[in-house]
Amino acid sequence: MNKPENIIEIHDLKKSYDKGKIKALNGINLEIKKGEFVSIMGPSGSGKSTLLNMIGALDRADEGSIKVSGIDLMTAKDLNKFRSQEIGFVFQMHNLIPNLSVVENVEIPMYETKLSSKEMRGRALELLELMNFSNLSDVISQDPTKLSGGERQRVAIARALVNHPSIILADEPTGALDSKTGDTILTLLKDLHQKENVTLILVTHEPYVANMAERIFNMLDGKIMEETNQKIKVHNLKQSKI
Amino acid sequence: MSFLSLMVKNPFRNRTRAALAIVGIAIGIATIVVLGMVTGGLQTATTSTLKAGAAEITVTPVGSSGFGSAGGTLNESLANDLLNISGVSNTAGVIGLNANVTGVSNASSSGFGEGLLINGIDSDKLSLEGIDSINGSFYSNGSSNELILGTTAASNLNKTVGSTINLFGTNFTVTGIYQTGNFITDSGGFMALNTLQNLTSNDGKVSDIAVKVADNANVTTVSQSIKNAYPNQLTATTAADQANRINQGLGFINTASFAISLLAIVIGGIGIINVMIMSVFERTREIGVLKAVGWRSSRILTMILGESIILTLTAAVVGIVVGVIGVNVLLAVTGAGFKPELTVGILLRAIGIAFLVGIIGGLYPAYRASRLPPTEALRYE
Repeated sequence: MNKPENIIEIHDLKKSYDKGKIKALNGINLEIKKGEFVSIMGPSGSGKSTLLNMIGALDRADEGSIKVSGIDLMTAKDLNKFRSQEIGFVFQMHNLIPNLSVVENVEIPMYETKLSSKEMRGRALELLELMNFSNLSDVISQDPTKLSGGERQRVAIARALVNHPSIILADEPTGALDSKTGDTILTLLKDLHQKENVTLILVTHEPYVANMAERIFNMLDGKIMEETNQKIKVHNLKQSKI
Repeated sequence: MSFLSLMVKNPFRNRTRAALAIVGIAIGIATIVVLGMVTGGLQTATTSTLKAGAAEITVTPVGSSGFGSAGGTLNESLANDLLNISGVSNTAGVIGLNANVTGVSNASSSGFGEGLLINGIDSDKLSLEGIDSINGSFYSNGSSNELILGTTAASNLNKTVGSTINLFGTNFTVTGIYQTGNFITDSGGFMALNTLQNLTSNDGKVSDIAVKVADNANVTTVSQSIKNAYPNQLTATTAADQANRINQGLGFINTASFAISLLAIVIGGIGIINVMIMSVFERTREIGVLKAVGWRSSRILTMILGESIILTLTAAVVGIVVGVIGVNVLLAVTGAGFKPELTVGILLRAIGIAFLVGIIGGLYPAYRASRLPPTEALRYE
């Protein structure tokens, strides 16, 4: 059996802000294989989200090298196309567009593809069905602001998956949810990762969330301090969250 | 949902703001449409003064406007004298006066001031005024109580053939109603020359002389001959000169219309910039999401610019409808003797200006949105 290839290769990656005063990433080295589920942990300001933004090509690094899906993000010109085809983002605050219906929100990433409106609608409904939205005729016109937090996040996941990305980047996807709903969302993400063989990178500062991943990276001051495949001991973390 | 549908949907998220922006631009567009229609209508009415068969030259005293003068200032005998000039085939002495209409609630019959413009001319010379046919009958030259009215005057005064009208303290019977197509002529009336002279104490006097040029003669040459024959006494104005003078006046309206168009572009553009910048500010995080899911900057630019254009084109439709209805109501109420003209040119101008305002107003906000760094946009609270 072939060993899975690296989908992400990062070497000595550096990124600073405010004319070098804030070193957000200070020499990151990271390799992630295709189909892995990885979580990145660390306190606020440790550089987790910045690293996620670099992998998702939302920003460019100052130094080092970063290759994602074989594309050198330091030199690639069309990062929009890369994001459209390779990356699916799930944000903490779901970021749905309020004046669009649920299904229209899921269609948004497909405007950069060559699909017709009909094909876009079909694909969006397929994803919403996968996200356990049972009554599809309702979601066509449903206002996303009327949905619960968990339902909105499921719509956001559908939006992230709609272009068949190879990597899902989830930044604190359960941060705004209660623990029960958060668990449902995490289970959904994990199932999708397994079924679709999509690489899942999840940023969190919750150990019990990080424990669901196959590998866990701990970050501090812009560096990866340790990597473990051992589960972190969780002491009533769920209760403390509540 | 298609990209176009998305662009159509977005500007109306904040309905009050969109409605106010549309009203602001629609007022400018409606003004442009109204001025365009009025100017066009007046131009058409002016062109009809060059009516075949009518006198080509109007002779008035030196120093007058050339459009005929009020009251009698020329000797009537000059009309016969002018027949001696080469190229002149017929002449008619005309006296024109503005009469107060009594017994009529709306005395402003012509829409060009109070009163009714009455001309005195021999009935057999009416063809020189462009009146060849009539509904009813012409007045007789010796009559003291008959007149004919133009269609606009008759309509505004609510008179028909057989009606009575009191002018200069005398009751007149309307014997006929004529239509020349000239809005000034159709807003007035005619009676026998000697009747009007007697009533207004202008015996033997006329205010102008209508001159018909022979078929084989040149109008300009004849006009010059008249001026040369009576150097310090008479001036001759051709119908073409009159039309040109009116068109010069309309040219000022056109210039004003152009200035208003520019003003509409500037004011409308600033309004749309304001609306679209607000919209982009409010949607900063959303724009970050669109970039995160792979939208190109050019698509974001197109979307915002498209939203701006959709807003202004909606305003154009509203402005055109309001302008067309408004000008028709306005001219009907005031009783103006001409019809406003809606041309393809006016519609294209209105839509073109709205389109331009949409582009000017939307360009900066669209550029700004397209250049937003996605990480900053996503952090925006």
